[in-house]
Amino acid sequence: MSAPPARKLQLGRVGETVQRVDAIPKVTGEFAFSSDLFAAGMLWGHTVRSPHAHARIVSIDISQAVPMPGVQAVLTHEDVPGAKHYGLEFPDQPVLAIDRVRYFGEPVALVAAEHPEQARRAASRIAVEYEPLEPIVDAERALAQEELHPNRPTSGHGYREDPRPNVVRTMVVRHGDPDAEGDVSVSGVYELGIQDQAFLGPESGLAIPDGEGGIDIYVATQWLHVDRDQVAPCLDLEPERVRIHLAGVGGAFGGREDLSMQIHGAMLALRTNRPVKIVYNRQESFVGHIHRHPARIWAEHRADRDGKLKCVRMRILLDGGAYASSSTAVTSNAASFACGPYAVENALLESTCVYTNNPPCGAMRGFGAVQTCFAGEAQMDKLAAALGVDPVELRLRNALAPGDTLPTGQKLTGSLPVAEVIRRCAAIPVPEPDGLPRDAIRLPGGSGNVTRGEGVRRGVGFAVGFKNIGYSEGFDDYTAARVRLFTDRSGGLVAEVHCAAAEVGQGVSNVLVQVARTELDIVDDVLLAPHTTATVDSAGSASASRMTWMSSGAVRLACAAVREELDRRGGSLDPGEEIDIERIYRHPRTTPLDPETGQVTGERAHVAFACAAMRVVAEVDTELGLVRVAWIGTAQDVGKALNPQAVHGQIEGGTAQGVGLALMEEIQTEDGLITNASFTDYLIPTALDMPRVVAELVEDAEPDAPYGVKGVGEPPTVVSTAAVVAALRAATGRELARVPVRPEHLAGL
Amino acid sequence: MKFVRPESPEAAASSLGNGSVALAGGTDLVPMLRDGLVQADELVFLRDVVPRGVQSGRIGAGTTLAELEVDPELPQALREACAASASPQLRSMGTIGGNLLQATRCWYWRLRFPCYLHGGDRCHARQGTHREHAIFGNDRCASAHPSDPAAALLALGARLQTTRRELPVADLYRLPTEENRNLTALERDELILELDVPTPDASVYLKAMDRRAWSFALVGVAAARFGAETRLALAGVAPVPWLLENPSALEQSTPLPGTAYKVEIARALVRRALASLPTT
Ligand SMILES: Cc1cc2nc3c(=O)[nH]c(=O)nc-3n(C[C@H](O)[C@H](O)[C@H](O)COP(=O)(O)OP(=O)(O)OC[C@H]3O[C@@H](n4cnc5c(N)ncnc54)[C@H](O)[C@@H]3O)c2cc1C
Ligand code: SF4
Repeated sequence: MSAPPARKLQLGRVGETVQRVDAIPKVTGEFAFSSDLFAAGMLWGHTVRSPHAHARIVSIDISQAVPMPGVQAVLTHEDVPGAKHYGLEFPDQPVLAIDRVRYFGEPVALVAAEHPEQARRAASRIAVEYEPLEPIVDAERALAQEELHPNRPTSGHGYREDPRPNVVRTMVVRHGDPDAEGDVSVSGVYELGIQDQAFLGPESGLAIPDGEGGIDIYVATQWLHVDRDQVAPCLDLEPERVRIHLAGVGGAFGGREDLSMQIHGAMLALRTNRPVKIVYNRQESFVGHIHRHPARIWAEHRADRDGKLKCVRMRILLDGGAYASSSTAVTSNAASFACGPYAVENALLESTCVYTNNPPCGAMRGFGAVQTCFAGEAQMDKLAAALGVDPVELRLRNALAPGDTLPTGQKLTGSLPVAEVIRRCAAIPVPEPDGLPRDAIRLPGGSGNVTRGEGVRRGVGFAVGFKNIGYSEGFDDYTAARVRLFTDRSGGLVAEVHCAAAEVGQGVSNVLVQVARTELDIVDDVLLAPHTTATVDSAGSASASRMTWMSSGAVRLACAAVREELDRRGGSLDPGEEIDIERIYRHPRTTPLDPETGQVTGERAHVAFACAAMRVVAEVDTELGLVRVAWIGTAQDVGKALNPQAVHGQIEGGTAQGVGLALMEEIQTEDGLITNASFTDYLIPTALDMPRVVAELVEDAEPDAPYGVKGVGEPPTVVSTAAVVAALRAATGRELARVPVRPEHLAGL
Repeated sequence: MKFVRPESPEAAASSLGNGSVALAGGTDLVPMLRDGLVQADELVFLRDVVPRGVQSGRIGAGTTLAELEVDPELPQALREACAASASPQLRSMGTIGGNLLQATRCWYWRLRFPCYLHGGDRCHARQGTHREHAIFGNDRCASAHPSDPAAALLALGARLQTTRRELPVADLYRLPTEENRNLTALERDELILELDVPTPDASVYLKAMDRRAWSFALVGVAAARFGAETRLALAGVAPVPWLLENPSALEQSTPLPGTAYKVEIARALVRRALASLPTT
């Protein structure tokens, strides 16, 4: 055997910082987002939406809209070619409302016209007669009100039976002796408002009929194949005839897991036999996707005199809104991670999600763990205060470690360096307070110029959070990757990677290429093929912090197979010859949690876990109630950083989203109607609201994962809301049991 | 919809009403047209007819906030109020005339609830959600005036020249009554042309917001000292920009349950504004 050829591609291997391929085009404005798509002869689609949160549809009259100028199609539920309902996990949502609308903004009819304005005008001529019904808007009262979904779409799926009306899922985790007492006990009731993903790129896409009855849909999404599998039955087409192609995604954060315009655009395109583009406006985008579940949480923590947790009891009530989306998994996650990354022998964790007529909720970065981390970490601080123990020390005393058992009964077999993450974060030097007086822009109130230091108090908060990586509870999750090896004109070996992993701005495109460059050290170049359902099997969802792990596993497998085949052929390819291999990667198998006890029924219900610790320094102007988050230091368990710069980017972005929830982000509703559906009224943090983030990456390899990698997208969001509010409590002494914390909650101390 | 570019202020003014609406930078008007809050058959573009620029204390109503915030001739309170308004993009388009006449941000009103200001018989905000709302003059409509520059101009005692008359900025605004639900006293066919801004000995504008930049005032306080007299005016506390006779007038405020915190903020801001005015 000859010595291996020298590595040709020196740069861009796994573990090296590689500039994101989309970075420069996005900054210069050359990147094509899904809303920038164009096709010759295309029509514009428009969606008619319900102005009511709950109503019976008496009649729909399209006769005035059809003859309007430019109109090519007007469609209602009667025109849905196949299944009339769809859903990410349960088909409980009508493609177009049939006889009832259950949330404000629910799609009722569609128009396609030559010009978007013509489509809007025609849409305004569609006469829908509604009989308004009393909306169910309070999650607690929903449990005793009329069923919104009398057929109970989520029952019979192996979940705990809960006969109360409107229950999407109830999950109870009973661990040890839930009545175990401690020497001290602290309790509290916590609440979180509805957070929006607030991605800047609105829902948008282009559907192009293929002329043979099939359809190509170019869309910003998180999971191409599950889109296809929902779209095809509604169009009454075989899945192969529906091809989903990833268009430029302007942010996702869970909000693109569910469908938006996919079926609608395809229906209009197939009816008119013309390409149809749909772009939601900003207002529409607020009703065009699901949100983070608002929650109410009752918590009690019992501990012994040394601060060891004896028993945690938590009841979590989540408002799922009108349709199920991924609420069942969020419900279970909220319970499974309610205790935080702490070893607890006894626990009773009950989590219930209900249907209401509020905006539908589903996946958002952190997925149930954000809510319970906010409550749980507030409880840990209360406990530290009650015991007179340093809050960091208290957390160290309870830190989970490999070998420990989770409240679900799952034994930690992989990596979870909780204590190290806490210690590393605690060791980051906290900067001295900036001196006074100083420029107002560097004080609470920012550009409002309100203080030179009067009324300002400083507070330091600390929090730790964790959640699972990957899909869980027996979900058969996998990622496919295909690698084609061929020679280019100059005789160089080229690898072309096909993977339907959605690039949502997290940088997975780079990861796919980095893995191929690492594994195929014989090639001269690596190309990345478009993300599509047309050429490769599913990659699964860009969610649950799973995509880097799963797709790097799949690309690595495919590369190894290609490598083996090349060796078999003597180590080189002739011009025109190619190797083309697809491989599927699966993580270790999980099994469901027992519906009665919430305990594991096999070795594991969750694949792996990641944790993060965060320290926040905040300044509060206690007279005005205004805040400056001055500094953030964090240590995060990342397994292995495949692209360190991108990991830092995820930490900063994820933290900003948690800062937003802590201080300003909340969808406001009035009887189910969203009242702040704009970026004028729904505020998200600006660069001025985000401090510098000093991040330490803790690399403790995950034994079951390729390269030891873990997901990094969610832990910063899980922990940051809790950490920011802890700092505000330290500054003000107030309980601050609800987020977002607004000036009225802090003013006038 | 027609778009017209009249050649004189008189021609512009006389074409207004009956479905014709004046358009300056459009930052407030265009979203309202989109949302059906304003109906118009014709947009009368003011660019060529309303003066723009600053000359010895006189400000053309067509001057943008971005131009005002950097003009060293102008009182500090006005420059700071302009700089603290909206975002750089909006300030580059938005004019001071349009800013003074911007509509309320009350979302009941923006979502077309049939409230008092829309001619209905009750204020939805008073009984409903109202943390952004008023602490003064709020018995009928509890909205909070959104303009920062208006508060500054009120404290400065600015006067307006319109196509019909000259008036103090204070008289541009009115509280709604049973018969007339308007918040301004401008006639339908009247245009603001210029502002005359006295030069104070010192002035300042402070603005408390929900976010550190680019958001409306929860409370804005303008203070301007002319010799021994100091004038205070507030944004975000009443349906119109609010002149505060003296700091203790805050004790006569009539906050709603959800706006009591604004009194606390106003007290502190007034104190700080006064303290920050140099005395000589
Ligand atoms: C997201 C957002 C945030 C904002 N934040 C702030 C803020 O923090 N502080 C603040 O003070 N403002 C804020 N604004 C308001 C903004 O400053 C105003 O929209 C802008 O100044 C209006 O000027 P314009 O020229 O665009 O007016 P237009 O939108 O063109 O007109 C507004 C109104 O004034 C009338 N009009 C305009 N000029 C004249 C004239 N010369 N004579 C008679 N009538 C006239 C128009 O007919 C219309 O009714 C914000 C606006 C937005 C959209
Ligand atoms: S505050 Fe004024 S604008 Fe708002 S609901 Fe009340 S009356 Fe209407």
